[in-house]
Amino acid sequence: MPVVLRWAHMKAPTPLSGQPWFPWLAVVALLSAATVSGSLLDNHVSLTSEAMLYVLVVVLASYTLEYLPSVVCAVAAVTAFNFFFVPPRWTFEVDSQEHLLALLVMLAVALLISHQSALLRRETRLAHLNALRATRVQELASQLANATRAADVLAAGQSAFNQAFAGPCMLALLPPDAAAPFAPDLPADVREGLQSCMRDAAALGPGTGRWPGLNAWYLPLGHADPMCGAVCIQNIAATDFAGRAHAQALCALLAQTLWRLRLSQEMQKSHAEAQHQQVQSTFLAAISHDLRTPLAAVVGAASALQTQGDKLSATEQARLLASIVSEASHLSSITENTLQLVQLTNAAQPPRRDWESMEEIVGAVLARLRVRDSTRRIQSKVPDGLPLIQVDAVLIAQLIANLLDNALKYSTDAIQLQVRLSDGAMQVCVKDRGHAIPLPLQQSIFEPYARNDQSGQRGAGLGLALGRAIASVHGGSLTLHPRRGGGNSFCFSLPLSAQQPAGEMP
Amino acid sequence: MNLRVLVVEDDAEIRALIQSSLSVEGFTVQTAVSLSEASALIRHDLPDILVLDLGLPDGDGLSLVQEVRKTQSLPILMVSARHQEAQKIQALDAGADDYLVKPFSVGELLARIRVALRHRGTALAAAVTTHTLDDLHIDLASRLVTVRGQTLHLTPTEFKLLARLVRSAGRVVTHRQLLGDVWGAEFTEHTHYLRLYMGQLRAKIEQDPAEPRHLLTETGVGYRLAVS
Repeated sequence: MPVVLRWAHMKAPTPLSGQPWFPWLAVVALLSAATVSGSLLDNHVSLTSEAMLYVLVVVLASYTLEYLPSVVCAVAAVTAFNFFFVPPRWTFEVDSQEHLLALLVMLAVALLISHQSALLRRETRLAHLNALRATRVQELASQLANATRAADVLAAGQSAFNQAFAGPCMLALLPPDAAAPFAPDLPADVREGLQSCMRDAAALGPGTGRWPGLNAWYLPLGHADPMCGAVCIQNIAATDFAGRAHAQALCALLAQTLWRLRLSQEMQKSHAEAQHQQVQSTFLAAISHDLRTPLAAVVGAASALQTQGDKLSATEQARLLASIVSEASHLSSITENTLQLVQLTNAAQPPRRDWESMEEIVGAVLARLRVRDSTRRIQSKVPDGLPLIQVDAVLIAQLIANLLDNALKYSTDAIQLQVRLSDGAMQVCVKDRGHAIPLPLQQSIFEPYARNDQSGQRGAGLGLALGRAIASVHGGSLTLHPRRGGGNSFCFSLPLSAQQPAGEMP
Repeated sequence: MNLRVLVVEDDAEIRALIQSSLSVEGFTVQTAVSLSEASALIRHDLPDILVLDLGLPDGDGLSLVQEVRKTQSLPILMVSARHQEAQKIQALDAGADDYLVKPFSVGELLARIRVALRHRGTALAAAVTTHTLDDLHIDLASRLVTVRGQTLHLTPTEFKLLARLVRSAGRVVTHRQLLGDVWGAEFTEHTHYLRLYMGQLRAKIEQDPAEPRHLLTETGVGYRLAVS
């Protein structure tokens, strides 16, 4: 558990090497070791070999200790060698020029080694840090590749800065990526710095050449246009060039992602706009033809009854009246389909879904359609015990009614309405024995106001376009397959919910 | 004395159509073009039936249903456009008796009015306790349901659900009303109970459950027990 781990980490004793006095203890220990082994070998070896012991200690110190302890170690080693071994012993005096020269050379070598190894250590550390930073930039890049919202970018960026710098770091995004650029509790000076940084599209703070007196860097996200936001990193050093380069790399990455998101949003918006325009213009085209024709029939029949009513035979009058009723209900269904299609294409709100029974929906559709299907051509097959589905029943009923309507209109034989389960989806098919729709038309009949016109039947060509839109807002699809032996099969499938509604039935 | 109908409709053509077809059937017809005019007429002299359009210039009719239902039990029939689904259901839940969707035929209108009148005053007179259509006989008092001469065994919940529909036979009963009356007020959103129990009832009562004769679905609104 993370809490326990953190607690354990805080309470764990700091290792010996981490204590502030450890390097000095190490220096003393190393020098004592050199001095003791020098005295033990005193009668067997020359002064030069004893000097080598001290040189060894100095080299060891410079490789393992920080710069200051290793320099102190070097000076102390020369002093100790002088004190303990160079004649006259037990004094700091040096009796011959040769010994003095040797001591000076030894001091110079010791200092040089310390300096070099300190340099080497610093560069190694920097190389490690750079490698780590490169990995972090890569990690951030892969995180951002999946980001779809500005809020995700903000969160990923904030955590990347927190990881890279002691901070605190404050990230601000400009609208439209964020509702308000600054958190309300942001200190006034930070807010001012961020604002100025975004306004000038330039970095501020120590080492940047602008506002060097600050204790923080202010870095912009993006260029003047588009400016996406800025970040403030506090408690930094002016000389940390690599750190600033890293921060700027992170900023560039964030700005790029924000820009990409904005572009894709704009693209989506203009795509929706174009689609909306297309629906509008096809709607207008439809009014000009498909609504006028039945209207003309209604007006014609009604005016005939009005002006010549008494001259017309009873059968003739009945025929005109029947024509008015059927043309008007045709008009009403065109209007219904068009309005529904425009509404679905605009897709401002998702359909109103509820748990529904397909058996019920089919039953309601058939109840309405049997009026026009007096010879009962429609044969329905709905298996028992179907699971419930989450759909907008009104829309699904309209889809089934449109398919059956088409089948009644474009064929003369029996029509099958079949519901079945397959692959985690509920499939509904309407199969007729009418003329198979030619291959080139098999896709285009799903476009609004397209129609398989060879039959001479009237329709607004909206039913299938609406059907496809209804299937797709439910996460399904509407497809056409030619039937073996002639005819067409229109099928739509709706994904089943993984779970049936919960709750004990009281 | 003729029954008096108040028709509230702002469209002149439809108002004239309803007025003439109801007059022919022997009703005395009053008309109003707005909610305020309608409520003034109702206060002045209560009609026997109210036919109310849902989309009026000064409101959506729901408020009038609520106001009238506070004190009166006269039948209220709503006329709505297809896109007024939500208001229609709200008005039914608020106590309207039934609805018609524009465009409707005169035949439909008269049939709905006949059903509404049959239920008129059931609050005072004996409630509907029996129902017969074709081969289906239901007697709520003796808890007897027979289909094609066979006595059916219904579970208590199935019987409660069927009884609720019998008491409103011929009229639409919304999902919310059924759930509230059969299961209780806290279950009004659990439409899946209804789907499953209606499925079971249909399997027992209907000859072809996929094409019901008795237990009709009003898609998106509720259910109706057929009376003819």
